[in-house]
Amino acid sequence: MEHERDLEEYRACLLKALTVSAHRSACSASDPIHVFVNERRAGLLDGAGAETSLQLQSHVRIDTIQLRSEDGVLLGGLSAPEFGFRTSRIALLRDTIELRVHNTAQGGSVSAIFMPAPSLWRRTWRTLAGVADAADRRPVRGMLPGVQTVALTQALLAIVVVGLAASQMTGWMTQERARSPVTPAEIPWAAPLTNVVKLEQQLGELAQMQAKAVDTIQTQQQGMAQLQGAITKLSSTQEAVASSVLTVRREMEKRQKGQGHDVERVTRLLMTKAQTEQEQLEAEIHSLIVANDKLSKDMAELEQHNQDLKKRLKSAGQEVSKAIVSDRDKPMVARQEDGAHSQPFLFWVAFGEGTSQKSIDQWVRKVRGQKRAVSGGWQEVEIVSPTIPPDRFLEQIRQTKIVKAVRIS
Amino acid sequence: MVLTEEQRALNRDRGMSDRTTTVGRLDEVVSTPEEFDRAVSQALPVLLDRATSYTKRFLRETGQWSEDVAHEKFVLRWGAEYLERFLICGRSEVPCRPLFLLDSLVAKQHSQPEPFCYHPDLLTPLGRFLDGIVARAAISRDALIGLYHHCYGFGPGDVIALTGLNGSESQRIYKNFRRWRDSGWQRAMDEVGMTEAELNELSSRQERHPQRFNGESERLIRFAQAHYRKSEPDHYPCLSRPQWEEMFTQGYGYDYRIWHLALCLDCMQTAWALGSKGTPAVDKPRVELRVRP
Repeated sequence: MEHERDLEEYRACLLKALTVSAHRSACSASDPIHVFVNERRAGLLDGAGAETSLQLQSHVRIDTIQLRSEDGVLLGGLSAPEFGFRTSRIALLRDTIELRVHNTAQGGSVSAIFMPAPSLWRRTWRTLAGVADAADRRPVRGMLPGVQTVALTQALLAIVVVGLAASQMTGWMTQERARSPVTPAEIPWAAPLTNVVKLEQQLGELAQMQAKAVDTIQTQQQGMAQLQGAITKLSSTQEAVASSVLTVRREMEKRQKGQGHDVERVTRLLMTKAQTEQEQLEAEIHSLIVANDKLSKDMAELEQHNQDLKKRLKSAGQEVSKAIVSDRDKPMVARQEDGAHSQPFLFWVAFGEGTSQKSIDQWVRKVRGQKRAVSGGWQEVEIVSPTIPPDRFLEQIRQTKIVKAVRIS
Repeated sequence: MVLTEEQRALNRDRGMSDRTTTVGRLDEVVSTPEEFDRAVSQALPVLLDRATSYTKRFLRETGQWSEDVAHEKFVLRWGAEYLERFLICGRSEVPCRPLFLLDSLVAKQHSQPEPFCYHPDLLTPLGRFLDGIVARAAISRDALIGLYHHCYGFGPGDVIALTGLNGSESQRIYKNFRRWRDSGWQRAMDEVGMTEAELNELSSRQERHPQRFNGESERLIRFAQAHYRKSEPDHYPCLSRPQWEEMFTQGYGYDYRIWHLALCLDCMQTAWALGSKGTPAVDKPRVELRVRP
């Protein structure tokens, strides 16, 4: 029976301890906080009231993180996920500890950041600075109306007064993390100061609310700052990507242009070469045509000359046969002169431009000649052998008005 | 008298009905940490009984259970320990069903090779006392420093001299001692269920047979230390004398000295004279148990 009662008492004691939980720590705010990973002591958050952090790496997966005070009271903790991140903010009266755990296949890591609550003076100052900042950031269209200025000033003054009062009270209240319960009977001066105590409680609550609000604002500001940072990073990354794309595009265009230029240059070279070759070819063809014409003319002249020679030979043959007959009665010299006068004389005449056929015919009749072949602007004329030497005869012909040039063959 | 019996029966029925309702709520999904807190704070007795029953079942199934008050206290102690961890860490597991989350947490603990320090001798009043303070030393620096006093009778100055600490660390030792005396020791005794009568009995036993008592204490301390020293960081193993000597001479590893020497009787007897650099400030440490802080 006694054992049962003993057990019941023990059970009740344990349940009471569980109910009181973290509030039973006797440590002050400046005492270090021990960090346990997987129920093993892993490090210390010892900022002596200032912000401090602890980073841990583990080769094994992290299951739990526990925060304990110097007297071993479990202040907070976090159950880690099998894989990935988990974050938790643990409020210790006024201070906060942010726990972050990350488990991967290779192990885990823990980050613990102790963030002490700022003093009321600091919070008030920050609030004022925040209000001033907000006022500064607000677009000012004109002078602030007088009523609004007065209201703002009054609000600021009220915050300062409350801050002053609460600072003293909360400083008095939070010298230790938790106080042992004290009955009014143990405090002789408590009865007449009931109102003060009530006010103190209200101020304490107000201070806590303020602290929470400031914390929320700070968290939001941090979140905004992180968001802004992320946006800035994103935009800079976008810019970098865009500039890279532009650079790549320009490079490609440049390369394409370069390639185009090269092709054009090569084409132009080839064209020029081809043109040159064509021109050369044309020139060669032209020279060949000219040469061919010349050759044809030469051939025609040769043929003409050949015919002339044949005719001469024929006429010479005839003359020779005649002379043989007449020679039997006349001296040799007389026979030669007669033969010379009877032979036809062939020459080529080039007439001046614009000379009419009529004038040519007249001239031919005048010199008692006959027109023969025409070749290359040259007219062949046959006359009975002139009485004067051929050179003088040709010189006379050359001096004729319509005659441009004269040649024998 | 008859009425009283009826009332008791009625209360018991009502209690069972309430318990069923509470358990019914605990197996529903809670979505936020606040919901979790509300749900479990209303059902602490139920949850404690559940965690205790699982521990009892574990001891039964591993052949370590006996029907006595010591075992009942042992399972209650560990049930409360699991429940405390559940209350703190469960908030980060939402959304969850609290009842099954507790089951999984306890099952996870029991699946480990040595979920707790169990030995029949540690269930005696002396064993419970030593198990209580050494277990506490693994999670509380106050208790750790207190251990120097309870095992060897050292005061703050002795601890500072023994471990060769400097100024700021010395102040912390005094603070640890003060808190342990003020509240830490009592809390540790409450947690292991040491009654005033049991503590008095221990003191009287020590007075009657100090040598036998201290010998028995040393044996149990070694056993408990071997188990709870596992909660130290992995990089704090036992060192040889030259290694300890180098650490003291070079002036590093203050934390190592404090934690390891308190939880290792052999290393304490190796390194006890190194902190004072010359004439030892304390006598060679021997286990002389102090029940009171």
